[in-house]
Amino acid sequence: MSEYYDTLLELCDFTPEEIDGQRPRIEMAIEKIGLDRHDFSRAEERVSSQHDIALRGVRRLLRAWLLELLDLVLSREEGKKVVYYGYPSIQGPGMTIKAASTIDLYVGCPDVVLCHTLGQIFDKLTPILETAEKGGLPPGHGLCSLQQVRSGALALGIVPVPDLVTGSSYFCDMGSKADELLHEIYGHPAIYVDGSMDSDWGAYPQLPSARIKYLGAQIDKLFATVKDLLGVEVTPQSSEKAMLISRRFFSGLGRLTKLMAADPMPVSGVESGLALNLAAASTGISMTEGAEAIELLCGEVAARVDTSEGIMEKGAPRILSFIQPFSDPSITHMMESAGLALSSSIVTVPPPKRDPSIQINTLGEERAEAALRDLYHSGYGLVKRFEDAARRMEVDGVLWGYLFNCRPLAQYSHLVKQWVEEKTGIPTLSLEMDIYDSRNYGPEALKTRVEAFAEMLRARKAA
Amino acid sequence: MEAIQRLAAHVKSRMGDLIRHKKQGGKIVGYSPGGYLPEEIVLAAGAIPVCMARGGDHTLVELAGAYVCRWLDTFCRTQIAYGASGEDPYYNVLDLLAIPITDNHVRAVSDILSYHTGLDIFPFGVPHMKEQAASDYYLHGINRFKEKMENLCSVSITEQKLKQAIELCNRERELFRNISLLRQANPSPVKGSDFVALHHGSLVADKEFMVDVLEAVYRHFQENAPLRESAPRLLFTGSTLAIGDLRVLNLIEGYGGKVVIEEFAEGLRPYWENVSLDGDPMAALADAYFTRRVPPAWFRPGTERLDFLLKLAGDYTVDGVVWYHLLYRESYKTESYYFPRRLKDGPGIPMIVIESDYDASEAGQLSTRIETFMHTLRS
Ligand code: SF4
Repeated sequence: MSEYYDTLLELCDFTPEEIDGQRPRIEMAIEKIGLDRHDFSRAEERVSSQHDIALRGVRRLLRAWLLELLDLVLSREEGKKVVYYGYPSIQGPGMTIKAASTIDLYVGCPDVVLCHTLGQIFDKLTPILETAEKGGLPPGHGLCSLQQVRSGALALGIVPVPDLVTGSSYFCDMGSKADELLHEIYGHPAIYVDGSMDSDWGAYPQLPSARIKYLGAQIDKLFATVKDLLGVEVTPQSSEKAMLISRRFFSGLGRLTKLMAADPMPVSGVESGLALNLAAASTGISMTEGAEAIELLCGEVAARVDTSEGIMEKGAPRILSFIQPFSDPSITHMMESAGLALSSSIVTVPPPKRDPSIQINTLGEERAEAALRDLYHSGYGLVKRFEDAARRMEVDGVLWGYLFNCRPLAQYSHLVKQWVEEKTGIPTLSLEMDIYDSRNYGPEALKTRVEAFAEMLRARKAA
Repeated sequence: MEAIQRLAAHVKSRMGDLIRHKKQGGKIVGYSPGGYLPEEIVLAAGAIPVCMARGGDHTLVELAGAYVCRWLDTFCRTQIAYGASGEDPYYNVLDLLAIPITDNHVRAVSDILSYHTGLDIFPFGVPHMKEQAASDYYLHGINRFKEKMENLCSVSITEQKLKQAIELCNRERELFRNISLLRQANPSPVKGSDFVALHHGSLVADKEFMVDVLEAVYRHFQENAPLRESAPRLLFTGSTLAIGDLRVLNLIEGYGGKVVIEEFAEGLRPYWENVSLDGDPMAALADAYFTRRVPPAWFRPGTERLDFLLKLAGDYTVDGVVWYHLLYRESYKTESYYFPRRLKDGPGIPMIVIESDYDASEAGQLSTRIETFMHTLRS
């Protein structure tokens, strides 16, 4: 017999048989989260209006996110050990741990999963954020809303207290501090993977061996702790296995990035965002189902490109952006309605290749070197990456949507724009945002500046 | 007190000294506060260290808006404005600005000033954990700094020069420690604002002169037994107590409170640990400045400091804690949520949390809250 939640799941490419098979899980998760039939009706409407569900690849991506939500919420009930990592995370350690595991293990970034599901699909983040605001992360102080999502979800019992958390101490102070706050409340162990972004201004992409060594030692420490606490031993083989899975995922993303550069832009940045963040959020079913979904989506998008079908007018200014909002697709839609083709993201433009002369001694150092070549190098590395990517992608404009409550990014609020415009002449909009919590940074609040920017770019193109 | 007045006069004319030193070919090395830059290395190279710790002025906070959004720590925004505006005499006189990178707010100062100024900036990392790999990384950073100083000053920093500088700085730390310990007595002979004035003076003063002042101050307080008093005894702690940011301290004293012990990440000189004179001086510096130093809230976790605060509260028999952090310094903001419970479960004393953006519009609320807190402590 069908239930009120079936329609949404079918929209997200679940088959009736699958829904029947998963019913006990689905109902247990619904109860834990506190969703009702009205939430599902609204979600159906949101998914239909905000996502390009004519594309099966998009529906499969939504399905992967929902499966991740089930796995996360029910991990304790299903007898799993639970490891949370911080976002942004160095690509690899979480997946490597998962690949090494012979036990039932959930490894993921719960806040990112919740943003894409309870935020993006259900629009139900507010009660979670409000709970966190009463629990040590008050509003108005520039505290990270992603951390609020985790804190509120734990307080409401939506996600389980983990067996271990690992924090991105190499990049951000807030994540580690929030882990500490949660440790005070729930007592779970936290492993801080530390580093120091202390390279000289102008030194990108040079990578001092001391930085690789320190961050590498921290990642190796994480692996050792996982062995002690959970009995999961990371080996070169498990690492290689994780990298194989990840490579498939990222090669799909690379192809999607190239397809998005077509004129007219074939699919919304909302959908590429759905694909991109799966890998950042989880190491579970989405890594396999997600890769398939991206490949499927690429095929469908390629067909659109072949027939010059697009979601925007041909000739719309092409934009390099930072990252799409996690919880509220209406912001990206607003930007696209204003006429900006959000065709590429700095996150999907590959960093420079490894310098072969760098000596790598451990698995941790291997991961550290890859991370430090990318966005974890330095502030100079960030502005340089923007400059190089803007040239390489031949965009008409850059949209630097920095997160106001994320210090590693907000500190470059003005610098990215100043640097990119000075070095490339490409107009850049510096836009203060909150990609996790749009209560104060919704589409209406941002629209005026975005529209003016789009207008200026159009005039520039026409001149 | 005469010695403190002498220090004030010295600080007032300090810029003239720096300019003369420069004219004679000497080097001036600025550094950001936080206690992670061993001044010994600067002194051993024959240069003058100056801590860039001025703050408290909202005009600068507003000026910073030209360079960065407002969601950064108030003190760090102030440094960005001082440095980038080109109007600050201290920043203008520097030959090098050394910035131990402790958290993202300080990293912002380093990067934004690197872009906007012609300053020679030397950032080096302070890890956030106390582990062997972290100590090694810190030691690596200060070794790089030593090399940088040798190049800047065209000298070789010998072990002997370094040990001489360590001895001088140890004497300064020891005197601060001795003066501070006098305050365990009840009543304390030292006013909180006098102790802070000594610290702030020491951040720019000539080191030998400073030691002389501290010796005189220590003698004075030893010889002048305090009178009976009933002021609430306070632990004053937080992120940054900048030179010029005395508003909260003045209000506390104005409402009859007595700060008997302070603990700040920035703006006060760490004085609890001396540097060993045995063995390799660079390793000894790393050991004292990093490994043995009680770390600020941006360490993960911040437990060591919170335990230290509880110890200070006991040793100095305080009646309450004034927790003062600047806006958007998230590490302090987060700890301020759960530390009161530890205080309540431990010594059973209350805490007030004060936040500031150096804004005059905060004055009324600040005053009322501090007055009420003092009233509560008395009743
Ligand atoms: S502050 Fe930024 S880097 Fe830190 S947890 Fe939040 S989003 Fe991630």
